[in-house]
Amino acid sequence: MTNDELFTFIKKNPISVGCGVLSLFLAAGVYLRSAEIPEAEDILLQKTAMAERYALNIKNSVQLMEQADAMAAANKELDTRIIRASQLGSNTQYFYKLQSDTGVKLIDFRQATVVLPPTKAKTTYSPVAFNVAVQGTLPQVMNFLRQLESGTHYCRVLTANCSGNASARNQPLTLSLNLEMLGLP
Amino acid sequence: MLSRLKRKGEASVAPSVPAWHPNFRNYEKLPDIKAVRTAFFVNGVAILLAISLTIYFGFTEWELRNINHQTAAIQGEIERDKKTSEQAITLFKTFQADEARVLEVDTFIKSKPTISVIISRLGETLPANIAVDNLDFRETGLTMRLSVRGTPDVASGYATKYLEQLRSDSQLALFDDFTFTSTPSPNPTTGRMAVEFFLHLKGAPAGRK
Repeated sequence: MTNDELFTFIKKNPISVGCGVLSLFLAAGVYLRSAEIPEAEDILLQKTAMAERYALNIKNSVQLMEQADAMAAANKELDTRIIRASQLGSNTQYFYKLQSDTGVKLIDFRQATVVLPPTKAKTTYSPVAFNVAVQGTLPQVMNFLRQLESGTHYCRVLTANCSGNASARNQPLTLSLNLEMLGLP
Repeated sequence: MLSRLKRKGEASVAPSVPAWHPNFRNYEKLPDIKAVRTAFFVNGVAILLAISLTIYFGFTEWELRNINHQTAAIQGEIERDKKTSEQAITLFKTFQADEARVLEVDTFIKSKPTISVIISRLGETLPANIAVDNLDFRETGLTMRLSVRGTPDVASGYATKYLEQLRSDSQLALFDDFTFTSTPSPNPTTGRMAVEFFLHLKGAPAGRK
């Protein structure tokens, strides 16, 4: 087909040729833009998820400031009740103060080193061990034990032995304790 | 308008079998009797195709524009919330660190029973005929050494009754097993029955001491 014939053909069929050319362009456009919709949808999904996460963070943090303040205050109080393992003088003083407050006689007091088992969890505090033995009447010994367990410092008793004289019950009781106090190195 | 080529084509369709009479038809001069031209259908199909593609293309473009519009709106939300969210995350991390310390203290305190409370309870519920000689708290539980007043037969009954009483005490629910560790026997020094109980702590390793 020569150029003249082609020109004549186009001239004779302007509608079909025009529509055919337009269809070709549109088909090319559809083909080229077809990948953009899934991409745009992916981006939209990612951004929606991100926006939802941010919105949820904000929603969940409505009372976070107050809660964080309360927790910080609690931690400040905790810090005042934590002993320092290295401060032997202060630790000894605490037990002698208990002795004078309760009236018991401190017959043994030793601060021991605690070997902690390896744990996965990272901890802030470590227990400080003490071996304590006191003598006194039942009210004195009980008062000493109560003050120790619910006193200034956090304490847990690992083992305890309380004994009296079976043949002379008016004799003082002996309380031996193996205890731990929560502390920092 | 009928094309020349077409008319020739029609002329060529004329029967090749010899007719019984001469064919005087002049195809060149005969009128065109086709009601609808083929070109009409070709144009129609071409127009339909073009319109369909235009609609499809327009729809996809509109959809894409919609998605991009939504993305832009969400991007705006992200930019607005990002700073506040990051501040909240930082604050939450601080909170978590503080909480971990509080939980550590709580775990430490609750890891062992409060001995003074147990001794107080034992003192409150101790029967008149029984005296405590020794209390020994260990990791597994509590060993109680007692002196029971009375003749051996009566004293054994008191001891059994006391063990039942301890077992049914709701404030001693931290123990799950209440047993005699040995046969009660008279103590020659005091003249009383020596009895020993073992109270096993819940969750503690089995066995005495």
